[in-house]
Amino acid sequence: KEEDVLILLQRLKAAVHYTVGCLCEEVSSDKDMQFSKQTIAAISEVTFGQCENFAKDLEMFARHAKRSTVNTEDVKLLARRSHSLLKYITEKNEDIAQLNLERKAKKKKKLEDENRNSVELAEAGVEESEN
Amino acid sequence: MGLCGCFTRVDLIRSIAIVGLNVAAGRRRLWIAKPLGKWAAEAMADNFSPDSEPTTRTLLRRVLDTADPRTPRRARSTRSGAQRDLLETPSTRRQRSQTKMTARRRSHTAASVDRLARIQASGHLEEQTPRTLLKNIILTAPESSIVKPEAVVKLVPSPQVVQHTRRESSRGSLELQLPELEPPTTLAPGLLAPGRRKQRLRLSEFQQGMDWGHLSQEPRENADASSLTSSLNLTFAMPLQPQSVKRPGLARRPPTRRVVDVGTFLQDLRDTSLAVAPPGESHRTPVGTVPTDTVLEDTQPFSQPLAGHSPSVHHSLPCPSPSGAKEVEGPASRRTWSSGPGLQNNHSGPGKPAQLLARKVEEVEALAVGFPNISSISGEDGVEPLQNGVGEEAEESMEESMSVREVEKAAEEQGSARAEEPEGHTEVAEAAGSLGSIEAKEPEGSSEDEDPSASPKLAPSTPEFLRTRRLQSPEPAPPPSTAVLPSELPKRLSARIPPRPRIPGSRPRQDPYKAGLNHYAKLFSFYAKMPMEKKAVEMVEKCLDKYFQHLCDDLEVFAAHAGRKTVSPEDLELLLRRQGLVSDQVSLHVLVERHLPLEYRQLLIPCAFSGNSVFPTQ
Repeated sequence: KEEDVLILLQRLKAAVHYTVGCLCEEVSSDKDMQFSKQTIAAISEVTFGQCENFAKDLEMFARHAKRSTVNTEDVKLLARRSHSLLKYITEKNEDIAQLNLERKAKKKKKLEDENRNSVELAEAGVEESEN
Repeated sequence: MGLCGCFTRVDLIRSIAIVGLNVAAGRRRLWIAKPLGKWAAEAMADNFSPDSEPTTRTLLRRVLDTADPRTPRRARSTRSGAQRDLLETPSTRRQRSQTKMTARRRSHTAASVDRLARIQASGHLEEQTPRTLLKNIILTAPESSIVKPEAVVKLVPSPQVVQHTRRESSRGSLELQLPELEPPTTLAPGLLAPGRRKQRLRLSEFQQGMDWGHLSQEPRENADASSLTSSLNLTFAMPLQPQSVKRPGLARRPPTRRVVDVGTFLQDLRDTSLAVAPPGESHRTPVGTVPTDTVLEDTQPFSQPLAGHSPSVHHSLPCPSPSGAKEVEGPASRRTWSSGPGLQNNHSGPGKPAQLLARKVEEVEALAVGFPNISSISGEDGVEPLQNGVGEEAEESMEESMSVREVEKAAEEQGSARAEEPEGHTEVAEAAGSLGSIEAKEPEGSSEDEDPSASPKLAPSTPEFLRTRRLQSPEPAPPPSTAVLPSELPKRLSARIPPRPRIPGSRPRQDPYKAGLNHYAKLFSFYAKMPMEKKAVEMVEKCLDKYFQHLCDDLEVFAAHAGRKTVSPEDLELLLRRQGLVSDQVSLHVLVERHLPLEYRQLLIPCAFSGNSVFPTQ
């Protein structure tokens, strides 16, 4: 089992490394600067370590708020240190919230329409029966 | 199961005590272990009371009580019994006062005393064995907190009393005793306790002087090295001393002294008096009530000769300094006071925190140049509103008189001990601040002053004054003043000044924490075991400041995250968890036990006491 865990970790680290490499390539083509391999490796290691920390912190925050699910609030709390990141996350959060609202509104409309339809049908049925 | 629990605890105590004594007693281990064994058995038999926690402190005390005071190498002496009893009783008394006493406990200690009397042990009780030393330390050591900065007030009473008695004894022959008395006070400037004594002396002298309408004497005893206005001053001094001693509220501020460079001082006076001419709205908490008192009583501010008046102003300055210096201990008070002046006169603003900072930095550096300027500015501000409140004179004329007064004051103070000057200036600044914020806020600061009665007097006068000020001055002149100040201030203070164009909330952050940070910085330099540069200490303070700010922000956010408005121990636990100090292996209570003294541990960790009561309640 431990070996499996280790293998999993290695795969995860490799994935992170690959993603970091892709991002660095983008940046280097943007800014016309080269990234050495050691740099990419260092960044990916740091990222991986930070991800572990984030996960632990998120769990602690959720538990602190007496929840068992990690929430967007927890994520925002996590990102509070860097202002730009916090802004970004808040904006995204608002977008998602809006989307949710819209979806809810649509659902409500659908439900209402269906209700109306059924009511009309019922009324129509009643009228017909009366008639 | 309860009995089993008792067993293990007592066994633990016994084993620890035995081990400890073995180390100390060497050969006598068996002999010493026996009484402990007996005592432990008694403890067990008596249903070990749960209120006594086996912490190191209580354990040590018990060891000292019950174990033989004699070291193994010393020969026996016959005088042991009575002396040991004498030694025991203070320690047992201390036990009683500190821990919850039950009947069983008394029987414990009584039994221990009896047992010791029985035991043929003897000790050379006059000799300074480590044991006796330790016992004396436990008996006499003040209960100080390692977490909170030491309140300086504790140093005061004993020298106070000493000085008081000395003064009283010297009442008969003033002149003869003068030279004797002076030298000890001349040593004072660096020390807090004599400074406090001096502080009180000055205050009472000042009050007497106000009554008499004239005080030409120097408040500082240092300057009286030549027994100038000797006899007259002393007659004031002697009877005043006991008065001031009776008023403990007066002795709050450590004297901070600065050497004054008169030339630059005067120049800045002139520079800033123009800038001061249109001071803006002034929201200042009423701190300097004593000087306002004196000025208000003085109904003819300009008819009096300046020589006479400047000393009164001068003496008025030291008086509120206690309130300023008290901020060393009271961050809350300072916040109320300093939150006021957030808005108004920027130059006095920079002056104030600069002065406060300077007081802390005083031990670090002597800042001779910057302070007179700041203090002069703030002094002007401070006395101006007072004057306005009293007589509603033209501001320019008042400023002129003020500046003249300050010049005289500066002339007087030149060459005196350092801390007087900034002290006085801080007081005046506080007075200015106090007046300013009366409108804005309650006179909370005044409650901390010696004469809270003065603040109501201020209240009606200041609104008028503020209104007149507002009409006259659309805008204070912060830019010239702030431009003037930073150039003169040392770098550290100038770093504080730019953020000064101000958010009212930002000010209370800087100053109150500086007081405690000084304490921690000193701790840091102690543990470094090496001499530290002043700049290094400053950097440490800066880092600590940021660290604590982050910490408190985090705590606030955590509390909000849990939907609460109050920070709770849960938030602290979360914080420590994030820092890695608390983990699944190490809990918060373990940390509390490890690092905090017993008193805090008792407050924090719920413990069951007799009668089914748990403290603190959960």
